Amino acid sequence: MDKFSLYVGQLLSFQEHFAPKGHWACQGCGVALAVRHVYKALEGKVKDFDSAQWQIPWQHTVLTAAGKSSTEPALMSIAKDAASGGTLYICFDNECVEGKIDKTGLIKKEPAIAVANDFTYVATACPSHPFDLIEKVRHGWETAGQSFIHILCPCPVGWEYQFENTVRLGRMAVESRLFPLYEIAGGFYHITVDEPNPRPVADYIKNQKRFSHWKIQQVAALQDEINSLFSQLEEKATVAK
Amino acid sequence: MTDKTFKQKKIGCYLLETKRAKPFEPGTKPELKPEWDKDLCVRCALCYLYCPDAAISRQEDGYFAADQELCKGCGICHRECWFGAISMVKEG
Repeated sequence: MDKFSLYVGQLLSFQEHFAPKGHWACQGCGVALAVRHVYKALEGKVKDFDSAQWQIPWQHTVLTAAGKSSTEPALMSIAKDAASGGTLYICFDNECVEGKIDKTGLIKKEPAIAVANDFTYVATACPSHPFDLIEKVRHGWETAGQSFIHILCPCPVGWEYQFENTVRLGRMAVESRLFPLYEIAGGFYHITVDEPNPRPVADYIKNQKRFSHWKIQQVAALQDEINSLFSQLEEKATVAK
Repeated sequence: MTDKTFKQKKIGCYLLETKRAKPFEPGTKPELKPEWDKDLCVRCALCYLYCPDAAISRQEDGYFAADQELCKGCGICHRECWFGAISMVKEG
């Protein structure tokens, strides 16, 4: 054992469960990356991955005119063991199917809906922070009751950026606090990835062509809303402490 | 919601039998393929973590290499490598 074998990535198992023969997703697909991490997290726990059901199949969500099912992000549900009960719902959100691009689509309300419906474990995750995602999926699997995980998946085709920037844009969304990573376990809020010096959201906006029609006032309004929402989230997290 | 389940379909949406569809060869289209510089590589496994196509695998000596048949040439490994050990090379 030499010093190079101490990197944390080497601690993962190198067995592939997601599409070992390849899949039909586009180059640099964020959804495929997130699904791969989810399968890696549930390795050895779910015996047959066919028991995972796609409520809304993700391969249709990249097509903007695929019918009614394309108006919602992809949703996967995995039935838990009989001991813990409940279902683990995972939402793969690539923001491609909202029809109009404004700040209502960028700010997520699904976690709040899940909390209002008495889910025991609710979390947000992003494939740019893989170990955070893997821990959350494992935690959601082990918690008894219903759990929900919202994953932001960058999409090179829908967001119109270069393929190689998939992970980079996910990291920008987290660092600018547009998509904060937090978890709600038993009603207690906990911010898992906190950025003390947040990046301005303009960095995230200007790297994507889908925002090319945005004006400076819209970016400023979005920044104000992000700040107020994150301060609300911080208040909830400090109450839990 | 129950009428939209896709249990009959294999996860990952790859074709098991090719009938009229084209044969499945994801690695034929891209022009650029990643290459590793073993002097710069520190085996942090970041390229392995961030590959959406599960094309990168660990070799016996601990270094990483891409499966030429699965790689689609997106370049995420090239962008995310901290040490610049991966370069995208034109094939052929």
